[in-house]
Amino acid sequence: MMRFTDLKREANFVFGHRQIKLTLLVVFLLSAVSLWSGYAEMQEQQATIERLLEKDQIEREAVITHQSSYGMVAYYAFHLTYAPPSPLAFAAVGERDVFPWKHRIRMLALEGQIYESDTDNPELAFLGRFDFAFVTSVLLPLFIILLLYDLKAKEREARRFDLLNVTARNAHAIWTARVIVTLVPLALVTLVPFVVFGLFNGASISSISTVCAIVIGNIAIWSAIVLVIGAAKRFANFSATHLASIMLGVWLVTTVVVPVTAHSVINAVVETPEGGDIVLTQREAVNSAWDKPVEDMWAAFIATHPQWADFTTFDPERDTSFNWKWYYAFQQVGDQTASDLSKAYQAATLQRDTIASYVALLSPSLLTQRLLSSAADTNVSAMVGYENDVRAFHQALRKFYYYHLFKDPEFYQESFEALPKFTPSVDAL
Amino acid sequence: MIFSVAKTICADQWRYWLRTKVAATVLLLGAILTLAALVVNAFHIEEAAHAREHLQTEAEERFKAQPDKHPHRMVHYGHYVFRAPTPLSVIEPGVDTYTGNAIFLEGHRQNSAMFAEQRQSAGLTRFSSLTPSFLALVLAPLFIILIGYGSVSREREAGTLTLLLSQGTTRWQLMLGKLLALITASGLFLLPLLLACLYVAFSSESPLVVLLFCLSYAVYFLLWATVVTACSALFEKSSVSFTMLIVIWMAACVLLPRLGSSVATNAAPSIGKLEADFKVEEKLRSLGDGHDVNDPAFKKLKEDLLAKYNVDSVDDLPVNFRGVVAQYSEGRQAKVLNEFAENRMGEELEQAHIARQFGWLSPTVAVRAISTILAGTSLETHHRFLREAEALRLEFVQGLNKVHVEKLDYKLDMNRNASEEAADKAVVGADNWALLSEFNFKPEAANTRISNALVYFLQLFVWVCITALLLRAAVRRLNP
Repeated sequence: MMRFTDLKREANFVFGHRQIKLTLLVVFLLSAVSLWSGYAEMQEQQATIERLLEKDQIEREAVITHQSSYGMVAYYAFHLTYAPPSPLAFAAVGERDVFPWKHRIRMLALEGQIYESDTDNPELAFLGRFDFAFVTSVLLPLFIILLLYDLKAKEREARRFDLLNVTARNAHAIWTARVIVTLVPLALVTLVPFVVFGLFNGASISSISTVCAIVIGNIAIWSAIVLVIGAAKRFANFSATHLASIMLGVWLVTTVVVPVTAHSVINAVVETPEGGDIVLTQREAVNSAWDKPVEDMWAAFIATHPQWADFTTFDPERDTSFNWKWYYAFQQVGDQTASDLSKAYQAATLQRDTIASYVALLSPSLLTQRLLSSAADTNVSAMVGYENDVRAFHQALRKFYYYHLFKDPEFYQESFEALPKFTPSVDAL
Repeated sequence: MIFSVAKTICADQWRYWLRTKVAATVLLLGAILTLAALVVNAFHIEEAAHAREHLQTEAEERFKAQPDKHPHRMVHYGHYVFRAPTPLSVIEPGVDTYTGNAIFLEGHRQNSAMFAEQRQSAGLTRFSSLTPSFLALVLAPLFIILIGYGSVSREREAGTLTLLLSQGTTRWQLMLGKLLALITASGLFLLPLLLACLYVAFSSESPLVVLLFCLSYAVYFLLWATVVTACSALFEKSSVSFTMLIVIWMAACVLLPRLGSSVATNAAPSIGKLEADFKVEEKLRSLGDGHDVNDPAFKKLKEDLLAKYNVDSVDDLPVNFRGVVAQYSEGRQAKVLNEFAENRMGEELEQAHIARQFGWLSPTVAVRAISTILAGTSLETHHRFLREAEALRLEFVQGLNKVHVEKLDYKLDMNRNASEEAADKAVVGADNWALLSEFNFKPEAANTRISNALVYFLQLFVWVCITALLLRAAVRRLNP
């Protein structure tokens, strides 16, 4: 049985230690700095999106007023799509620095546009982000090891070990109390800054609680690892620092060796088309349309769009100057040709992610990182989700323009009020 | 004399490592990891090199195999360039997996690089990667700490330090012996790397670059071995030196590089390509649309041309006016595009420079900068790739426009939308597509890379001095 007085005494003891106080201060600073840096970055991304939205609107209106046919507007008008940072993205930047979160697309073949990436500075992405997810998944375990590895050894060296065991009402309770008064402040200095930033940023209570639970779970797992190694009979003769080396070994194997090995294995196992092949195929299909018999192209187009079967002929009287129908139809056919490759590419990305989620069960750090970026909607599936939003939006654009190109109604600028608008599926800040 | 005693101490330390399980395990694990990393990475790079070379040849062949066409159609058909990996990227892949390695080149647009490998890695390699450079820069120091933190303090705790010093061993002999032992142990991690370098040097890389590359890694290992030995002597107890060294490692290898990256992002935010695109468009709108000869922006061009050839209408010109407009507007547009592209690259470089300033705080950052710059996998080399791709883009697009000006009749050209037969007439021969040059990307010349890395060599040198002072302090304070 552990009593309150035990806890109190241990707390006094622990906080009497300069090394522990210093560690807690460092963890607090790391947590706060990582949060601030993620927060500032997400604010900047949000501001960028707002600036882009404004310019996007102006630019498109300029195109609409300057052009006089639907085909020309479709050619020149770009549409901004974006994945805004979620209210928790500041805590886990996740895949946002590798996957694009903004695209400007137009009516041309999508496969030629969607792999364009306006991502961040590659050198900074290579160095890695210093975000809250990194602090909690990679650094926190190291601090736990440093705080707990010589729990008992310190007392042995100070020759208080036996004294403590003898004087305590319950020998077990002392160590439990000491672990608790070390870990609870550690969790607090990590999480309090996060909760403050989270509330300030308008994150929901439930999502904040989820993150807290993930972090506490990670602390619990690592404490268990450290305590089990410390108490193992096999290592009974080891010095405290030898024990710590073993704990670091566990950290190394789970945090570094497991993920990189899994990465190499996944690379070998999961077949993925070369990205270059998708765009080459698409371009060949689009460009060869100019030289191929028109009927072949129309056949491929009508196969997926039977509703326009009766409208494919080019009538110089009815249709405006250039045969835009044919032009956009072969863009569509280009996408259709590359569609299998493109689907396989995305499927491979997702399949790798799925395998990685199983691998994460072997690595607490990886698991924490994945759970955090999933809570923050910055994981692979969120970014692929954005890609699919862009695809759906492009589909809607096509629907709008196909009507105006094939039915060829009189050109009215007002008709562009019905132009589809992109709405991100992740809630904005 | 000093060395023979040091050698004995070193040999003694080695006997201790081989006897204790932890040290032997660490040494073995380190050696296996380094070898695995080298093998895996070498295969990967080899494969990527072949794949990209193949794609590059294929792209060129496809371009040249196009049938007779209107030259402007070829401008839109475009071309792909692929960046082949550099020889040293076997050890230091650097930013390569983050940048994407293919660019589509076409008229009127500058596209960004596509298909960054990192997107397919499912986040597994975001903290760590199985690259020799990550192992050498981040993990090897941890291994050196794990085997060396107690090398001197152990003797002190066991009481053998007094014995050694009273038997006539000097402090320097003792410390050099311990240091020598740790250096030889860390050599186990370094050796595979050096052998790989040697192999690279004999293939295609400049020997001087490879030498400096090896040297900076060797110095880096030396730094850590010295810091570890010094700390082991400076602190009374093994547990304290252990804790201190782990804290130093966390700060230098894990924390500061990332902190540098985050500080750079926030201190010098870059506006990104999309936002720059808007500014480009704004500026370009004032320059006119190259597809439309009637755009008022080309009025002056037309007047000048009519005056030059002394004719009254564009129909009478000996050259194709549409081609002239396309050529003229592409040139002007490229200037604007390049101005913004240079701006953007300048911003990125500024961010990288801010992040690299952290090399004054952590030798890991300094050596990483040296390593990527020398290996040709740095931001600078990526920018060089972008610039070369742009030069090729402008060259073939303007080459096609020149064909448009000189080899395609204006009247046939203007009449091209009238019927299919008319469209078939408005073409030029496929032999013209031979104007496309080969793309064969090479990183900067050895001297340029070395001079780019000079500042970071200076950072490393400062670390050598600091470490030497630390060692001296440790020797002076060495008391039983």
